[in-house]
Amino acid sequence: MSTISGLGLVLMVLMIIIGGKQGWKSFLSIILNFGFLFMAVVMIAFHLPTLPVTLFTGVVILAITIFMGEDDLMTTQTAFYASLIVLIILILLIIPVEHFAMVQGFGEEDAEDLEGMSLFIGINFVDVAITTTVLSTLGAIAEAAMAISAGLTEIIEKHPDSTDKQLFRSGLSVGESIIGTTFNTLFFGFFGGFLALFIWFAGLGYSFGSIVNNKIFVSEMIMILVSFVGVILTVPITSLVMSKRKNKVDVDSTSKKE
Amino acid sequence: MKKFVNQHTIVVALIVIITGVLAMTFVTHDQGLYQRTIAQVQTVKNGKPQRQKDNFDNVDHLVNQSIKAKIMNGRYKGQTVRLTNQYSDSHAMDQKFKIGDQVFVKLSGSKHNLGGTIQDYKRDRVLVFLVWLVVVLLLLIMRFNGALALLSVLLNGVIFFLSIQLDLKMQATYVMLIFGSLSFVFAVLTLLIVQGPSKKMLATLGATTLGTAVAMGLSLLVFSLTHERGMYYESMQYVTQVPRPLFLAETLLGSLGAVMDESTDIVSTLFELKQLNPDVTAKSLFLSGRRVGQSIMGPLINVLFMIFMADTFTMSLLYLKNGNSWGYTFAMNMGLGTVQSLISGIGIVLAIPVASALAGILLGKRGAKIS
Repeated sequence: MSTISGLGLVLMVLMIIIGGKQGWKSFLSIILNFGFLFMAVVMIAFHLPTLPVTLFTGVVILAITIFMGEDDLMTTQTAFYASLIVLIILILLIIPVEHFAMVQGFGEEDAEDLEGMSLFIGINFVDVAITTTVLSTLGAIAEAAMAISAGLTEIIEKHPDSTDKQLFRSGLSVGESIIGTTFNTLFFGFFGGFLALFIWFAGLGYSFGSIVNNKIFVSEMIMILVSFVGVILTVPITSLVMSKRKNKVDVDSTSKKE
Repeated sequence: MKKFVNQHTIVVALIVIITGVLAMTFVTHDQGLYQRTIAQVQTVKNGKPQRQKDNFDNVDHLVNQSIKAKIMNGRYKGQTVRLTNQYSDSHAMDQKFKIGDQVFVKLSGSKHNLGGTIQDYKRDRVLVFLVWLVVVLLLLIMRFNGALALLSVLLNGVIFFLSIQLDLKMQATYVMLIFGSLSFVFAVLTLLIVQGPSKKMLATLGATTLGTAVAMGLSLLVFSLTHERGMYYESMQYVTQVPRPLFLAETLLGSLGAVMDESTDIVSTLFELKQLNPDVTAKSLFLSGRRVGQSIMGPLINVLFMIFMADTFTMSLLYLKNGNSWGYTFAMNMGLGTVQSLISGIGIVLAIPVASALAGILLGKRGAKIS
C-alpha cells in the first residue's frame, strides 16, 4: 500500500469515528474537490478557455464544500449565495492584480525543476495564475461564510424578531470572533508550505528589495492577501444575504398562513 | 447625532484615501532606495511573431521587443538605455513589456552608449496596494479585533523569519527540533493574543499541541508501515537542505493554524455553555464539543487542501503539456501536497476529541470556575 492510501485510510476511519455520518460526508467532499481540481488542470491542458473553467470549478468546489459540510439548509444556502458574491468580487480583483504583477508561470528558482521541459506550450500562464489564485481562496471563503451563516442562524432561532440592523451587527461580531484564528490558518497554510523557499532566500542572502519583487514570493503574497480580502468581505456580505433571506422566509411563511 | 456620524464617515473616508495615495506615491517613487538599477520603459518596438512548435506539438509564438528605457536611479539617472526582450504567448518565464513598466536592469556598454539586460520586473507596487487594501478593509469592518488579528499575523511573520535564520545558523541539523519548538511558540503567542491569558487559552493550547503531536506521530507510523512508498522527496521544490525533515517541518507549520482555529472554536463554545449552565456535566460538554467539531472539520480540511493543491497547479499543467501521463503528473507534483493535506486533516480531526475532553475535564466538575 502506498503512503497516500495509508494516510487516506487513517483519515477516513478517524473522520467516521469522530464525525459519524457527517464525517463520512466531509471526507467525500475532500475527494470530490480533488477530482474537480484535477479536472480543471486537464481541461486547461485541453485548451478550454481558462476563465469559464475557473468559474465552473470555483462554483462546484464551493457547493461541494458548503453543502456537504453541514445539513441545515438555512445555513448552507445563505453561505453558498454569499460565497458566490465574494467569488465574483475576488475574480474582478484578481484579474487586474495578476496582469499588473506579472507573477505567472515560473521563477528563476524553478529553473532546476524545469530542466528538459518545453515552456512554450501555447497556454497563457497569466490566465493560469488567475485560476490558481481563485482556487486557493475557495476553501477559506467557504469556511468563513459557513461560520458566519451558522452563527446567524442560531441567533435568528433564539431571537426571531431581531431587525436587519441587529442581524448585521451580530454577523460582524461573529466575524470579529473568528477573524484572528482564520488569518492564522491562512498564514500558516501558505507560509508553512513555502518554508523551503524562505530558507532558500535567507541562505542565499537575498536582499529585502529582491524578495519583495521576487516572482514566486509576490505570487504567494498575492494569494495570501487576496484570501484575507476574501475572508474579510465574506463577513458583511454573509450578514447582508442572511438578513435579506430572513425577510424573504418571513414573507413566505406569513403568506402561507393567510 | 446623525450629523456626527456623517462627519465621522467623511473623516474615515479621507484617511483611507490619503493613506492609499501616500502609499502608492511612495512605492512608485522609491527607486532611490534600491541598489539595483531600475529603468522605466519609454518606447517599445515589437518584431514579427515567429511561430514555433515543440516535440509535443504545442504551438507558440515568439516576439522580439526592442526597448528604450530611462534609468531612474544610481549614477546614470536620467540617461536612456537600450534593452531587448523576447516573449512568448504562454509567458511562462518571460513577459511582454509595455510603456511605463519599471524593470531591474544590469547595465553594460560605455557611458555614452548604454546597453543592458532586463533582470526582473518591479512588483512591489502590487504588494503595497494589496496590503493597504487588507489593512483598510480589516480596520473598517472588524476594528479592534481586526487590528489584533493583524498584529498576531505580523508577530508570527517576524518569528518565522527569525527561526529561519536560526535554522541556517545551525546548518539545518535540528530542523524538526527548531520548527517543532517554534510551532509551540507560535501557538502560545497567537492564543495569548486571540484569547488572552486564561484557563480557556490553556485548554486550547493543550488541544492544539496534543492534537498536532499525535497526528504527526500517527503519520510517521503510517510512513514506516508503508515504507514511504510513493513519496517522491526529490519532487519537492526549492530544496537547499535535506528534504525529508524539511517536508515534515512544512507539514507541521502548515497544519498548525488550522488546528488552533478548530481548538479555539470548540473550547470557546464549551466555555460559553458552562457559563450559561454551570451544572453541565463533563460528558455532555464532551458531546457538545464533538458536535461543534463535526460541522467545522470538513470545511477546515478543505481550506488547507485548496491552499496546498493550488500551489501545484501550474507545474502540473506544464507536466501534462510535456507529454506526461496523469499518474506521473500527480505523483511528481501533487503527491507531497496530498500527503500534507492528509496529515493536516488527521491533526484537525484528532483535535476534536482532545479539545472536547480537555474542556470537559477542566469544566465538568460541579463548581469548576471558568477563569
